[in-house]
Amino acid sequence: MTTETLPGPAVAAKPISNRRREMRRAMRSLVAARWPLVAIFVLLCVAFAAIFGPWISPMDPNRQNIMLRLADPMTAGRQGMMYLGSDGLGRDVFSRLLYGARVSLLVGICAIMVGGTIGVIAGLVSGYFGGWIDDVIMRLGDIQLAFPFILLAIMFLVILGPGVMNIIIVLGIGQWVTYARIVRAQTLSLREKEFVEAARALGDPTVLVIFRTILPNIVAPLTVIASFNVASVILSEASLSFLGLGVPPNVPTWGAMLADSRDQLMANKWWLAFFPGMAIVMTVLSFNILGDWLRDFLDPRLKTNA
Amino acid sequence: MTRLRSLLLAGVAVVAAPIAAQAQPAADTIVVGISADINTFDPANISSRDNSNIAKHIFGTLYEITPEGEIVPDLAESYVEAEDGMSYTYTLREGLMCEDGEALTAEDAAFSFNRAADKANNFTGNTPGFVYSSIQFQSAEAVSDREVKINLGRKNPVSFGLIAEVFIHCKDSYEGKSLEDAAAKPIGSGPYKLASWQPGSQVVLERVKEDEAKAASIIWRVIPEASTRSAELIAGNVDIITNVAPDQLDAVNNSGSAEVKAVQGTRRIYVGFNQKAAFADATPGGKAIQDTAVRVALQYAVDVPTICKQLLNFECVRADGLVNPPNDNPNLEPYPYDPEMAEKLLDEAGYPRGADGTRFSIKMQAPRGRYLNDANVALAIGQYLTDVGVNTEVELLEWASVYVPLIRSHDAGPMFLLGTGGGTWSPLYDMTDLSTPTAGTNYTEWSNPEWFDGWAEISAATTDEERRVVIDRMLEVFYNDPPWLMLYFQPDFYGVSKRVDFQPRRDEKVYLFETNIVSGG
Repeated sequence: MTTETLPGPAVAAKPISNRRREMRRAMRSLVAARWPLVAIFVLLCVAFAAIFGPWISPMDPNRQNIMLRLADPMTAGRQGMMYLGSDGLGRDVFSRLLYGARVSLLVGICAIMVGGTIGVIAGLVSGYFGGWIDDVIMRLGDIQLAFPFILLAIMFLVILGPGVMNIIIVLGIGQWVTYARIVRAQTLSLREKEFVEAARALGDPTVLVIFRTILPNIVAPLTVIASFNVASVILSEASLSFLGLGVPPNVPTWGAMLADSRDQLMANKWWLAFFPGMAIVMTVLSFNILGDWLRDFLDPRLKTNA
Repeated sequence: MTRLRSLLLAGVAVVAAPIAAQAQPAADTIVVGISADINTFDPANISSRDNSNIAKHIFGTLYEITPEGEIVPDLAESYVEAEDGMSYTYTLREGLMCEDGEALTAEDAAFSFNRAADKANNFTGNTPGFVYSSIQFQSAEAVSDREVKINLGRKNPVSFGLIAEVFIHCKDSYEGKSLEDAAAKPIGSGPYKLASWQPGSQVVLERVKEDEAKAASIIWRVIPEASTRSAELIAGNVDIITNVAPDQLDAVNNSGSAEVKAVQGTRRIYVGFNQKAAFADATPGGKAIQDTAVRVALQYAVDVPTICKQLLNFECVRADGLVNPPNDNPNLEPYPYDPEMAEKLLDEAGYPRGADGTRFSIKMQAPRGRYLNDANVALAIGQYLTDVGVNTEVELLEWASVYVPLIRSHDAGPMFLLGTGGGTWSPLYDMTDLSTPTAGTNYTEWSNPEWFDGWAEISAATTDEERRVVIDRMLEVFYNDPPWLMLYFQPDFYGVSKRVDFQPRRDEKVYLFETNIVSGG
C-alpha cells in the first residue's frame, strides 16, 4: 500500500505528463528488479489479511479450548480445521496470525505517521528558521538518541500501560529524530534556492513557503526512510510484545505469539514459533526490499546514470 | 594452509577449554539452577524462597522442619515452653562454632534474634516481617551459656514452628558490621560458607563442617528462563533445576541424563475477590463479587482438575479451602465443575444474562512468570468465567515492580491471581494469612466476623482437640463465604540429573545436606 501512495506527493508539483512518465519509469524499474514485485505481493497479502481478517479467519482468535491445546497443524477442532495447529491454550494459530497482521500493520503505519509528522514539522522549522529554535530541537533529538530506544519504550509502556494506542505513541515518538534530521538538512539547502527566494519575494506567507514550496521537494527521501522505518517499527512492536509490554493478552500479535512459543520449543511444537516468526521475517524483509528499490529509484544520481 | 588450520585449531582449543572446564560440574560439587535472583545474605533481610534456601546452608536455626513436617533439633538440642505459653527456652548443643572459629553460645543466639528486631536497621525479611509479627516477638535473652529464652507477646500454638525459621549467627562477627557488609559477607553457623557471589549469575558455597554435609561445594546458578534451565540440565551443566516448565517434562525425562521429580507443593494458588469498598463502588463487576452468592456461584464455573491436567501436566484435587491437606477440614468437598449450577446461582443472585449474553464484566489481574504457567492459568480461568456470562478481562502484569506493590497495598483486583506459601506442619500456619481483617496478608480485605472471632477461641483452647473443632468451624465459614476462588496447591517440578540422588520436598525447601553425588558425571 505504501507504494500506491508514495510517488504521488513527491511529484505533485510537476505537470501531469511528467507524472505519467515517472509512473511508467517506476513500473519498468519494478519489473526489471523483480524482487520488489514479490515484496509488494507479500505486503498486499499481509494487508489483505489485516483488512479482511475477521471475515476470512476460521475461528475466534481468543477462543480457548484447553482440551485441544498444542494440536498439530491440520487438526480438526470443534469449530473447524486448525490449519496451523493450536497454541498452549488451544487457540487457533492461523486465526491469531491473521489478526496479528492487523496489529503489526496498524502499529507500523500509524507509528510512522506519528513520528513522521512530528519529525517533519520539527525538521522544517529547525532548518528554515535556524538559530536558537534549531539548537533546541536538535539538542532535544540528541538527548533522545542518547537513550537506548528499547529502554525508553519500556519505561513509557510501564507508566502508560499496555495498549495499541500507547504502543503507537511510544514507537512514533521514538522515530521523530530520524525524520527531523533529514528534513532539516534538506530544508537548509533548499531555503537558499532561487525558487524559494521567488516564493518569498512574491509575498507568500512563511507557512506556505515551508509547506507548499519546500515540503513537496523533500518527499522523496522521506518516503525511502518511511519504508525502512515501517520495518523497524514492526520489529520493535514484536520485541515489546515479546517482552510482555505490547498490547493486552486478548489482542493477538506476532511478537506475543513468539513469546508464548518459547516454552514449547523443547517440546518440538515447532509451528508455534515458525509461523509468527515467518510472518515477521517476510513482512519486515518485504518492507526493506521495497525501501531499497525506492531509494535506488528516487536517488537523483542513480536517475542520471540510468 | 596447514599452518592456518593448526592456528585455527589452536584458537578453538584455547576458546573451548575454559568453557568445557566451567560447564561440567566438578566431582564433589553440586550445581543447582534456580529461577529467581537473590538479593541479600543478611539473615534478617532474607525473604524470597530461593534466597532462604541458599542461606539455610550457611546459617543454622534452633530447630528445623523436616520434609515430613516434624520439628526437629538443629543448633538446639531441647526446649521448654513456659506454662503460660509466653516464652520458650532453648538449650543449645555443646561445642557449636561459627564459620570464623568463634564459639556459638546462648548470647550469640539471643543477639541474632534481637538484631533482626532492631527497628534502627529497618529490616524487611521473613524473620521480622512474618515470624516476629505472627509471634509478637518481644525479646531474647541468654539465661546461661547454653540456654536462650525467647519472650513472646501472646500465646500462639504455631510459635515453635515459626521460631525455627530464624537464622542464628555469632555476635562478635555481626556487632559493628555495616549493613552492606552483612548483606554481602555473611559469617554463618551452618555447614557451608559463602565462597563467592556474583549477583545475577551465581553463588558458590564451600563446606566448612565435613560431618554435616556430603558435597564439598554447591554452586547456585541463576537461570531465569525455563527453557534455558532445562537445556542446561539436559546438557549436564547443572545437576538440579527448580520450576521445570510443565511442557518440558517430556523433554527432560526423554533426555536419558535427567528426570523430573514432581511433588505436591504447599503453595496455595487462588483467585482473590477483592472486597475493598473502592472496587465495589468503581465497577458493576467489583460490586457483584461483594455478594457471597456470586462468589459461591463462580466456584462452580471453573474446571480446576482440567486446568491442572492440561496446563500444569499434573493430576490435582481441587482445594477446599486455604489449608493444605491433610490438615484441611475432612468434611468439606471441593466445589465441583458444574457450569449449569454456576449459571443457576448467578440467575438467582440477581445477575441474569443480558441481551449480549453477559451478566457483568470484571477485570482479573495476574502475574506473568511468577507461578507455574500463571499467565495461561489466568487466561483459562478468564475463559471459564466468560463462558458462564461473566465477561472477564485478564490483565497480565510484571511481577516484581508492578504486581507486588498492587498486592501489598491490597489494590489488585477486583479479581487477582495469587499464590501464597503454605505448610503441612500445622493448619494454623496456613490460616495465619487471615489473622485479622487488616492483616497485610489478608489481600482481599475479607472481614467475616465468624472467621475472625475464631482466633480468640483458638488462643483460649487448651488441647489440640478443642482447637481442631474451632479450626474446622472456621474452615467451613471460609468455604461457605469464600473470599477466594479456590484453585489448587501448586505442584513443584524439579529436574534432577542422574549424577545426584536429590529428593525434593513439598515445602519448596531445597536443602542439599544429605544429597550424594552418585556418579562421576
